[in-house]
Amino acid sequence: MAFPHRLDAPELPDFSMLKRLARDQLIYLLEQLPGKKDLFIEADLMSPLDRIANVSILKQHEVDKLYKVENKPALSSNEQLCFLVRPRIKNMRYIANLVNADKLAGRIRKYKVILTPQKFYACEMVLEEEGIYGDVSCDEWAFSLLPLDVDLLSMELPEFFRDYFLEGDQRWINTVAQALHLLSTLYGPFPNCYGIGRCAKMSYDLWRKLEEEEDGETKGRRPEIGHIFLLDRDMDFVTALCSQVVYEGLVDDTFRIKCGSVDFGPEVTSSDKSLKVLLNAEDKVFNEIRNEHFSNVFGFLSQKARNLQAQYDRRRGMDIKQMKNFVSQELKGLKQEHRLLSLHIGACESIMKKKTKQDFQELIKTEHALLEGFNIRESTNYIEEHIDRQVSPIESLRLMCLLSITENGLIPKDYRSLKTQYLQSYGPEHLLTFSNLRRAGLLTEQAPGDTLTAVENKVSKLVTDKAAGKITDAFSSLAKRSNFRAISKKLNLIPRVDGEYDLKVPRDMAYVFSGAYVPLSCRIIEQVLERRGWQGLDEVVRLLNCSEFAFTDMAKEDKASSESLRLILVVFLGGCTFSEISALRFLGREKGYRFIFLTTAITNSARLMEAMSEVKA
Amino acid sequence: MDCYTANWNPLGDSAFYRKYELYSMDWDLKEELKDCLVAAAPYGGPIALLRNCGRKEKAASVRPVLEIYSASGVPLASLLHWNLSPPQWKSGPVVALGWSAEEELLCVQEDGTVLVYGLHGDFRRHFSMGNEVLQNRVLDARIFHTEFGSGVAILTGAYRFTLSANVGDLKLRRMPEVPGLQSAPSCWTTLCHERVAHILLAVGPDLYLLDHATCSTVTPAGLAPGVSSFLQMAVSFTYRYLALFTDTGYIWMGTASLKEKLCEFNCNIRAPPKQMVWCSRPRSKEKAVVVAWERRLMVVGNAPESIQFVLDEDSYLVPELDGVRIFSRSTHEFLHEVPVASEEIFKIASMAPGALLLEAQKEYEKESQKADEYLREIQELGQLVQAVQQCIEAAGHEHQPDMQKSLLRVQQKDVSDEDVARAINQKLGDTPGVSYSDIAARAYGCGRTELAIKLLEYEPRSGEQVPLLLKMKRSKLALSKAIESGDTDLVFTVLLHLKNELNRGDFFMTLRNQPMALSLYRQFCKHQELDTLKDLYNQDDNHQELGSFHIRASYATEERIEGRVAALQTAADAFYKAKNEFAAKATEDQMRLLRLQRRLEDELGGHFLDLSLHDTVTALILGGQNKRAEQLARDFRIPDKRLWWLKLAALANLEDWEELEKFSKSKKSPIGYLPFVEICMKQHNKYEAKKYASRVGPEQKVKALLLVGDVAQAADVAIEHRNETELSLVLSHCTGATDGATADKIQRARAQAQKK
Repeated sequence: MAFPHRLDAPELPDFSMLKRLARDQLIYLLEQLPGKKDLFIEADLMSPLDRIANVSILKQHEVDKLYKVENKPALSSNEQLCFLVRPRIKNMRYIANLVNADKLAGRIRKYKVILTPQKFYACEMVLEEEGIYGDVSCDEWAFSLLPLDVDLLSMELPEFFRDYFLEGDQRWINTVAQALHLLSTLYGPFPNCYGIGRCAKMSYDLWRKLEEEEDGETKGRRPEIGHIFLLDRDMDFVTALCSQVVYEGLVDDTFRIKCGSVDFGPEVTSSDKSLKVLLNAEDKVFNEIRNEHFSNVFGFLSQKARNLQAQYDRRRGMDIKQMKNFVSQELKGLKQEHRLLSLHIGACESIMKKKTKQDFQELIKTEHALLEGFNIRESTNYIEEHIDRQVSPIESLRLMCLLSITENGLIPKDYRSLKTQYLQSYGPEHLLTFSNLRRAGLLTEQAPGDTLTAVENKVSKLVTDKAAGKITDAFSSLAKRSNFRAISKKLNLIPRVDGEYDLKVPRDMAYVFSGAYVPLSCRIIEQVLERRGWQGLDEVVRLLNCSEFAFTDMAKEDKASSESLRLILVVFLGGCTFSEISALRFLGREKGYRFIFLTTAITNSARLMEAMSEVKA
Repeated sequence: MDCYTANWNPLGDSAFYRKYELYSMDWDLKEELKDCLVAAAPYGGPIALLRNCGRKEKAASVRPVLEIYSASGVPLASLLHWNLSPPQWKSGPVVALGWSAEEELLCVQEDGTVLVYGLHGDFRRHFSMGNEVLQNRVLDARIFHTEFGSGVAILTGAYRFTLSANVGDLKLRRMPEVPGLQSAPSCWTTLCHERVAHILLAVGPDLYLLDHATCSTVTPAGLAPGVSSFLQMAVSFTYRYLALFTDTGYIWMGTASLKEKLCEFNCNIRAPPKQMVWCSRPRSKEKAVVVAWERRLMVVGNAPESIQFVLDEDSYLVPELDGVRIFSRSTHEFLHEVPVASEEIFKIASMAPGALLLEAQKEYEKESQKADEYLREIQELGQLVQAVQQCIEAAGHEHQPDMQKSLLRVQQKDVSDEDVARAINQKLGDTPGVSYSDIAARAYGCGRTELAIKLLEYEPRSGEQVPLLLKMKRSKLALSKAIESGDTDLVFTVLLHLKNELNRGDFFMTLRNQPMALSLYRQFCKHQELDTLKDLYNQDDNHQELGSFHIRASYATEERIEGRVAALQTAADAFYKAKNEFAAKATEDQMRLLRLQRRLEDELGGHFLDLSLHDTVTALILGGQNKRAEQLARDFRIPDKRLWWLKLAALANLEDWEELEKFSKSKKSPIGYLPFVEICMKQHNKYEAKKYASRVGPEQKVKALLLVGDVAQAADVAIEHRNETELSLVLSHCTGATDGATADKIQRARAQAQKK
């Protein structure tokens, strides 16, 4: 259990520096507004902020009261207001309304707006249009990388996914480039760079440009991280759409891990209170089970509980002196472990109640059938029943998308009937949801034969137009086929089963999906690292519709140490799942690498679907 | 003009060098140049002199005077150095002077403080080169230029180097120690390699290269033996080449990496030269070095003979991109390789197209018909364009206005901007510190808009091109450039310009061809200008998005039911136009449903509006309106299966077991009877569940029986089916003693099956 790393596994760089940088900058900004002030924080930023500067730090810098930015009038009576928000137009309007209300009431206050991770011109434009540009001061808090764990950095930008992959909005690419630039400033240049995807390519190019503009600061430094791999989420929607069955993924699917911590409700804590628990490598119990297939976890935890009991039991034969030692040295640790153990056992029980039911088994069975491409009719019927019974709008949508991507689109009859059923179950506004899904390439109709429709032709021409090389057309995905089946065959994603797959001793990354499927994203990364580039993967790249956007860039003079060459930073643009993280951690252990993850946000199937769903306000 | 080539001196077989006067100097120097610290800005820039510059032997009472002159010697400023600077810096004497790429004068003081003055002697700012420099004092200093700006390199009294590659963004870098260095190097220079500044220094017969991590010894490729010391070194303007002058009077010329030798020359003069600089230009034929002693100037290249000049006065050399400037008390001269274009045109008996064209022009001035003959000849050869280009290029290299004019006159009026821009580019290349957007701005300032645009094409950073393009009202081009830069804020800025500048139709048309900008603008409109968004879709005939837009409006902006239905109608029409019949039909269904929900609310009270079709039917059943529910299901063609699931859930929810049973018997269930068992058990009604368990088909019978807890009967069925999966399923439900007998029975059945 909890496979140890190989002895020669490289040390991870210390990412706590990123937190210190962010904290210092925030304090500097707060001090720019001397004296007491109230701080208005956007809800999405509360958890990330808490990981950087807790309330007492804020108080030290004269933050008086904290408010959440919400659609309610502010009751603050402070003379100075500070807003800490994402650069979104709706936030600007909120601030403008507040300032304008003060003006009407003849009230004079000082306002400061801190936008993070960066300012956008459009936001300042809105302040101007609303007539308050001169009344507020605008600053930028370049907080773009939150270390959630020793090997996991998150930009905490869930909207990246919708903005880029649905709306074709490229604003965040600059933020990504800036974040990469920061990393190379702190941890040295990356001698080997690989990537796939349009967004990956653009981010990479922009990042390079930034490095060139600055005086080769990183040039002389020795690289700490030998490789970087950038990957667009739309290279692999399938993996993100699957139900997760490794512990950390399952906890995320069941309870939603938010910014590295989870709220365990009374059913888990077996008390009347909810408990917020930080889930990371520091939680020794969690660290041992996070990457495990769920079927092993309960057994492991009970064994652990028995061991713990044995430790406690040692007290029985002790004399006073030994007892004193025990109490002062061991008891605290044991109690802590005890507390964590009971929490995770509680979580497990709660998950088992929900997930080991027959329903869940059938769901997994259907998913596996879709991945392997057999019994399509049966799966389609299953999905239809799922919709008819109103089991869950998000789950139904997820299954429809999984069917569509694995099958290169739904056949026209199913496409119509599933959509009709869905609209009847969940409301007509989902016409827009379907339009979104189609645009993102998540739920499409099989084109009759291989001929493209006139629209698609026009669009695909636009996309391949050389002059439009940098252009993302929002509809580009229309011209693409997912080709999942062919890719799966090429990359051997469905392992051949000879006998039972031993989930306790996994033999490949497929264990994260019960041995049924190797995550495509992780397989691509594995293959490219092995080949040190894309040689021999031309066909895969073509099937991924990415011939123009697969790149390799290797430094000529390699100053990197052999240790750093086994450190790999994987950048997921559009989010990554815990299953992918677990799979790559496994790969790392097998090969003596360590992976570091940088993601725009942690995602899972439900978050992907919610990002695409149209909801009535 | 016939002796135009009189001052051409050949160096080897291929190249000529010429030296000619640029200005006679207007300055009225009281001292000799050699008694001053001298600094001349590159690109023909100003000259700074610091007199009485506080060398230790000078009396302390004589105050240093800083004077700034234009290149032709016109006084620009004169000040008592450090009179204008705040008193706390009256610390040390000035060790070195130099001009930054922005034409700011940098004065490096002995204590490492650098004072910065403007072109007119105005004090700008100061900065320090760090504590180490302060402690050990400055022994020597250089101001150098890189593509990022201007840097300062310091040699301290402890024989250590400190440098900053860009004084605009001061980052001090202390270079590593040279092991065992006990005295100052005999000569040193800064190199710039792969965007990083290095120091090359000579100590005795050894050369050391410092980057900011390591000190390595280097040996020039093919260096002649017997060198015991290097007296001078010179790096070329673009940092590509290096020349070394040794104590044996030998000159080595090669690449700055020292890995490749271009040529070598033995001048047989062992006296250390006063100055040595490179003399070349982008695309020059030869690469030569100019060496100056007290009264002698020598041009040395890949040729057995050198070119020699006598210097009448104390002179100072300024390396330039395209040659070398030489100034003294009375004159300011330029020495360079004769450019190819000039050579072609002016070479004696040249038949190059440019030469013929110039000849034609001369005859034309004389009103001679020979002009026509010459011109005809050029045209017959099809070389007119080439001829014109040669003349323009040559004009760019000539310094006598008359000659420039006659060269330019040949093209009459059609000097194409493109050619001018190209000529400027050929001259400047991608020289560090040269900003094409600045040059373009100047061209625009002179009313040469087209030229400015052509010049901007040489600006490598597309973002830098945008502001000027906007100023020149070339907003569409600016938009393309902004998109190229990848800076979305810049794109947005241009968009707002365009929006104000163009009428709406043109604005939208522009967007249409720029999907990236379009997406950006759409995102903005979605939040801030909904009406514009609609217009955008309209303009594009994007009926699909238009339909979606009105659907959203039907629940987000419209409140009255009529308004909502109208919005849906518009949406449906749009969907038809988009040939999306599915969406159109679904929208029409929704219109019907909305109206109906409204009627239901009026007639029955309660809440129906905005429920989904499924939920509406469920709400009716829950409200006891079974008839209406049936009607609705028929009207909207709810499939049978769905209706059964729906009714099942609703009736179980009501715990109306009687009605449920009636319903189950109304006809054969399209969803089977297992769901009935499940839902009854969910409501903890085992009694009802059992009723349905008996009706479950054989395939799911075992499951049903297990659900209602009838393990024994489940076992019987499984045994009857001889189905191994079912047998193990039942077995897994056998718990404790109660089911012991059943378990045994299954085991027996299994054993029997195996026997067969």
